[in-house]
Amino acid sequence: MTRLEAIRRMLPLLGGAAVISNLGRNTYDLYAAGDRPQNFYMWGAMGCAVSVGLGLALARPALRVVVLDGDGSLLMNLGALATVAACRPPNLVEVLFDNGAYETTGGQPTHTTRGADLAAIARGAGIERVATASDLEGFARAIERALRDEGPWFVLARVEQATSFARAPRRPISVRDRFIDAIGPA
Amino acid sequence: MANATDDAADRWSDLMAGALRRGGVRMIAHVPDEVTSHLLQRLSADPAFTVVSCTREEEGVAVLAGGYLGGQKGALILQGSGVGNSLNALASLAVAYQLPMLLLVSERGRLGEFNPVQVPFGRALPRILDALGIQFFSISAPEEIDAVVGGASELAFSGLVPVALGLSTRLTGGKTLK
Repeated sequence: MTRLEAIRRMLPLLGGAAVISNLGRNTYDLYAAGDRPQNFYMWGAMGCAVSVGLGLALARPALRVVVLDGDGSLLMNLGALATVAACRPPNLVEVLFDNGAYETTGGQPTHTTRGADLAAIARGAGIERVATASDLEGFARAIERALRDEGPWFVLARVEQATSFARAPRRPISVRDRFIDAIGPA
Repeated sequence: MANATDDAADRWSDLMAGALRRGGVRMIAHVPDEVTSHLLQRLSADPAFTVVSCTREEEGVAVLAGGYLGGQKGALILQGSGVGNSLNALASLAVAYQLPMLLLVSERGRLGEFNPVQVPFGRALPRILDALGIQFFSISAPEEIDAVVGGASELAFSGLVPVALGLSTRLTGGKTLK
């Protein structure tokens, strides 16, 4: 399973859910799989995608919020998982694509190739709803459940390293305005 | 047990909570801190506010960025030293995407500091914020709170910029060695 395949499989399941994509390949692949106004593309603030998702989920309890994150980025901000667990937003779904590499910076290995288990770390942080998937069918089942049942959810998808050539336009203000308009007022 | 210091903390904290509410702030992110503990107790007890206790200040910037996308205005309450932990998110999220927020910075390394390692960042803080284009206003007396917080809220949420407010040790009494 590649990240692009997984995101393509996920998009038709989302309905009007908001998606926050982590900088680099998550943003590229989300854009390539399907640009939509409810996508918020991040270009920086490495490690912060899950926290942006948390703030949005708390501000908008009736909105499902899906975060597309990477192992290298989340390893930079592990405390955020404890904050998510403490706040318990039922509408937040953290999707962690673990490819074992800092792919955007040249494919250097992350510590998930050396023993770090992000699903176990999420559980240890206090997140009770944790699912793992390593094929498309398992991933789709986990996403369907995470979009339906109360969270917060942590869905770890093991994916191959796969070079992505898609590039979303780097227009932060336009992305912001379009996203706010799309999800509407609180 | 209440004492004169607690009474003073209660007074400025009450004024600050009221000014934040009137400024439209509804989401509070913070990293726990002794100097702002009275203020945080008030905000946590007030159902008008959603209060998120963060493990690190950069998380707080991101939480408030997400809250703003969802329609809630926010304030981050942190120590001056914590600004150092939040800089990349301030630059590449709050400033770059025009996601406004207030930063309530309790001063370290300024008047009355007892800890020498707090001094370098406290001294540099105004210039670091200035380099990012973030305006910084210090509050040194309770009487200033209404006007400064009200003005900063208007500036931040109309101008779509983060605005920093320094909680001077003259206002808070600062952190004391125990």
